[in-house]
Amino acid sequence: MKTVPKLIRRFVETLILSTVVLVAVNIFLLLFMLSRIESNAHPYSAAEDVAAALTRQGDTYVLTEKGVQILEENDAWAILIADGSGQVIWSQGPLPEKMPQTFSLAQVASLTRGYLEDYPTYPAAAEGGLLVLGFPSGSYWKHQWPSWNTELIASVPGNLASWAICNVLVIFLIYLAANGRIVKSVGPLVSGIQALARGEQVHVPERGLLSEIAASVNRTSDILLSKNREIRRKDMARANWIAGVSHDIRTPLSMVMGYAAGMEQQESIPPRFRKQAAAIRRQSQRMQNLINDLNLASKMEYSMQQVKTEPVNAVALLRKSVVDFINTDPEEKYPVEWETPEELTACMVMGDRDLLSRAIFNLIQNCVNHNEQGCTIFAGVETRDGTCRIHIDDNGVGASPEEQERLARVPHYMVCDQNTREQRHGLGLLIVRQIAMAHQGTVEIGSSIHGGFSVTIVLPL
Amino acid sequence: MDHQFLKNKRILLVDDEPELLQMVQTILRQEGYTNVYPASCVREALETARQVHPEMAVLDVMLPDGDGFSLMKKLREQGDYPILFLTARGEEEDKFTGFGLGADDYLVKPFLPRELLFRIGAILYRSYKGENPLVQLAASQVDFDRALVIRDGETIPLTAKEYELLSALYRNEGRIVTIDALCEAAWGDNPFGYENSLMAHIRRIREKIEENPSRPKSLLTVKGLGYKLVTEDKR
Repeated sequence: MKTVPKLIRRFVETLILSTVVLVAVNIFLLLFMLSRIESNAHPYSAAEDVAAALTRQGDTYVLTEKGVQILEENDAWAILIADGSGQVIWSQGPLPEKMPQTFSLAQVASLTRGYLEDYPTYPAAAEGGLLVLGFPSGSYWKHQWPSWNTELIASVPGNLASWAICNVLVIFLIYLAANGRIVKSVGPLVSGIQALARGEQVHVPERGLLSEIAASVNRTSDILLSKNREIRRKDMARANWIAGVSHDIRTPLSMVMGYAAGMEQQESIPPRFRKQAAAIRRQSQRMQNLINDLNLASKMEYSMQQVKTEPVNAVALLRKSVVDFINTDPEEKYPVEWETPEELTACMVMGDRDLLSRAIFNLIQNCVNHNEQGCTIFAGVETRDGTCRIHIDDNGVGASPEEQERLARVPHYMVCDQNTREQRHGLGLLIVRQIAMAHQGTVEIGSSIHGGFSVTIVLPL
Repeated sequence: MDHQFLKNKRILLVDDEPELLQMVQTILRQEGYTNVYPASCVREALETARQVHPEMAVLDVMLPDGDGFSLMKKLREQGDYPILFLTARGEEEDKFTGFGLGADDYLVKPFLPRELLFRIGAILYRSYKGENPLVQLAASQVDFDRALVIRDGETIPLTAKEYELLSALYRNEGRIVTIDALCEAAWGDNPFGYENSLMAHIRRIREKIEENPSRPKSLLTVKGLGYKLVTEDKR
């Protein structure tokens, strides 16, 4: 569940970004505005200019045309305070009414820093004294205490950093306060939808800001569940139907098989009829296998067959299946050759003993079904590349490469949703494949080195 | 297995399908079983059992007035004898193997008469082997009661392992018994790695029962798969 932390991160990122952008925009606007108004150095430079424009001619002072122009433009006045005596020795412009004639050093310091009678004053050094330029009262505001602690200036970078951190924290708190409730209701929704995707039953509490979405998720879950139940029910019904039919066929088939086998053994019956009885017995055995296969195939298809996993010795299992077959083949039309290497006495695989026996039985039965005139069956186990390979070969009629390809490619009618006439082989191989798949194994179909058909069940070791 | 002394055991046969009942009866009678008692429902089966005291029962699982399992419990209250089930459903295999209901064996329908006769014979042999006379082999006789081989008037005792192996072979007389099944019979569960010991024991059994151990006539090897015991009764 990474979605909710991701969501929160995204939100916070957006907030921080917008703050940074906002600050940048403000600074830009401020700078733009400042650039539009006159520099605050202007009155000082004006004083300097006037001082430069004042020249001494004998005992008197003369202001040049340029100096006069500055004074007139600003509606300002100017005085010259003589060095040493502090007397006002020259003045021009609309002087304040209570203009003192002499200035003490303290008065000079005061007017340098601040005002003279509400007139903002600006000093500049001139020939023989200090020129003071006075602007109309209210035209400038002067910052009278422009001085900071050095420590304060030195700690500006650190302070700026903590300022930024505080800002981020405040943003996060604002975010939590504002969005906590949404996140709280998104969390269960997200896990609910994820569970839905896994096919689980979901119930999200229908509370909070997103209760409507929660209700929809719950409804979807209910619909999916009932659909699945319906499909399962149909599958069960089909599998049960097949199980029922095969059950009902077993008892009558017992009688067909029993009496036919009895007649086959009866020496008082002419050989011709005994042969016919043998055919009836053989065909009813085929029907028996078909019923068993049909039942198992439908159960495997609908995953109703439990697959046990226990350690199974494949060699012993194959040996038992082969011996069971030989013991029920009194005619000895199908001799079996054992092809397991002598040193391989045990090959342990994890699997279901009954199902694996069934797969082997089906492969042996396949040899019998396709070779009515008889054939030799070759059975063996080998280990190769971390797999256990159980093979059943024969030297009978075999299958052409095209037929083999078709067997591997075309789905059996049991598992095919289209009407197909192409595939009419027995269920035997389908079950072998299903059983192999249930054991994470595969089935290889091919031609035998003995000349007939070859099937190998490959199981992981 | 052709043990004449087992052929007059009283066998109770229960199946609700009259024709199947008839057929099994015929199969058993043809094989030489003389005391077969048919019944078609639980009530009738209990009634017959009270009268004849069967020594074995062959029961169908589905009966019109109950099921074979509860019938078995009721029969067992009257006497302890082996029971073979005939079932039409493969799924019930678990019930027989897993839950230990006490059934001795089961057979899924449809079945070949041969298979039914083999199972009945094997169960009867297991249950009543104490009454077993000598088993006739090509060159000797085996007395399973006393664990002895009698050859040319001489008695040769069998060791415990030899006895276990020979009985396992005899129980499946005429059929191949796998190497694995023989190892399990002699050495119990998890019988891996005993193949060579098994070969040694088989050789010693042959020395006791065969005229020429290198050309055996009674205890035959089936290469790679197992061994088979052939008795003279069968021939």
